[in-house]
Amino acid sequence: MKSISLYEERASFVHDVDPITKLWYILFAILIPIILPSFTISFLFVGISLVLLLAAQVIRKTIPVFGFVFLILITVVIIQGMFKPENETVLFQIGPLTMYKEGLLYALTITLRVINIIGAFMILILTTKPSDLVESLVRKGMSPRIGYVISSVFQIIPEMMSSMGTIMDAQRARGMETEGNLLVRIKAFLPLLGPVVLGSLINTKERAMALEVRGFNSQVPKTYLYEEKKYRYSRALQIAMLLLTVTALAWRIFL
Amino acid sequence: MKKIIVEGLKYKYPLAEALALNDVTFHVEQGEFIGIIGKNSAGKSTLCQALVGLVPHFYKGAYGGKVIVDGLEVKNRSIADISLKVGMVFQNPFSQVTGSKMTVYEEIAFGLENIGIPRSEIIDRIDSVLNLLKIEQVKNHNPFDLSGGQMQRMAIASIIAMKPEILVLDEPTSQLDPAGSEEVFQAIQSLSKQGITVILAEHKMEKVAQYCDRVLLLNDGKIVDFATPEKIFSREDLEEQGISAPVYTRVCKALGVKKTGTDEYPVTLEDAEKALRGRVV
Repeated sequence: MKSISLYEERASFVHDVDPITKLWYILFAILIPIILPSFTISFLFVGISLVLLLAAQVIRKTIPVFGFVFLILITVVIIQGMFKPENETVLFQIGPLTMYKEGLLYALTITLRVINIIGAFMILILTTKPSDLVESLVRKGMSPRIGYVISSVFQIIPEMMSSMGTIMDAQRARGMETEGNLLVRIKAFLPLLGPVVLGSLINTKERAMALEVRGFNSQVPKTYLYEEKKYRYSRALQIAMLLLTVTALAWRIFL
Repeated sequence: MKKIIVEGLKYKYPLAEALALNDVTFHVEQGEFIGIIGKNSAGKSTLCQALVGLVPHFYKGAYGGKVIVDGLEVKNRSIADISLKVGMVFQNPFSQVTGSKMTVYEEIAFGLENIGIPRSEIIDRIDSVLNLLKIEQVKNHNPFDLSGGQMQRMAIASIIAMKPEILVLDEPTSQLDPAGSEEVFQAIQSLSKQGITVILAEHKMEKVAQYCDRVLLLNDGKIVDFATPEKIFSREDLEEQGISAPVYTRVCKALGVKKTGTDEYPVTLEDAEKALRGRVV
């Protein structure tokens, strides 16, 4: 079945780290550059994230994501470089367009921040099974109902898409035109909505009943098929990140 | 011991005009294998759902009378409480897949995790139901990638793993081929022999005749008859009730051959053979 999850199965120490520690890392990687806003720190964190992605052998999967993000960042660079109100120092000129130093430096800060945040999230998303993440959150006290909603989305959406394909085929078999110019395609799309939406509603009702009889609303404390995923150094990593954050705060306040 | 007591059960779905169940009364003993038959919209599924509490708790609607399963009055208990005693398998295997689990193995574990079974026992139970329903070979597949028949076996396995004392099955073999249905029926029969009470709504009359101890015939939400398969399928008004007897019974009826020493027609292949041979020789 086609999956909409980006998880990549690999054998690496990054994959072995438990999801909670990865969540900590996201927070850590976002907080520190805010506390200590220097280029060195930002570059350092982008570097760490990239090294971790490399170590996890998932760097190739990040290319389309970064590609998309760069598209947006380019507009930031252009707009800030040309039009930031504090712009004074002319860096270079291309025809009538002038790029200023202040704007470009500011754009660089934003770019580094964005890449840093995306990188930290990619570590979590590419190296953690969605079900593992949800399970560890439920163990930490998140409601199992919310957990169910999150993890079922990864399967129900592709299912809905495949049932949409079936309905579209059935309608094509009865002579509906589904290919051609935009207008034809929009016309073909409208009659799809009824069956897909109603069908999903009916399925949802039946699924809700099936969940009920399988004790979904049971008040008994839940147990788990798998043992909790534990990484040997996760406690140490978490404490280290906490200490570094405190140190960074102290540095910022007192020095 | 009476496992299921239904007294004067009346039920109307919200927004419906007619009663879906009208004054239904019957008792079931522990360990019995009961078949529910009747034409479409006779009330079979509604009755099944009334035994697990989906009627009335899930649908709401107008409810009267009493349903007591294993000492619990359905009206006053939550579905979660009842689900510990009564397991139900639905018609459509597809919508019974939870969608939150990536493999068949985890899917079967879903119910067990919810009711707080310890980890080591979860694993034991899953292994035994995978074996009972012969789906070990697909245990690491994604539930949505299974064929209809395998999905149906998985749905049954998921409920059986929860070890209910009463098992309610609503057309559990609709997607299975004849050999597959036979296997599933045998698996259910072996559970029934272990003392589990089984309630089964089904259209395959040959199977009902072969496996059920008693058969409940429904029409328009009312009980027409509740008796042994021989007695039910020997009725003269089956056509008016919208069902047809097993093919063996029809053959024997056409030939006028009754079971020796009774006023009833044979309902299984073995009995029909016995009765017909007795006449030929």
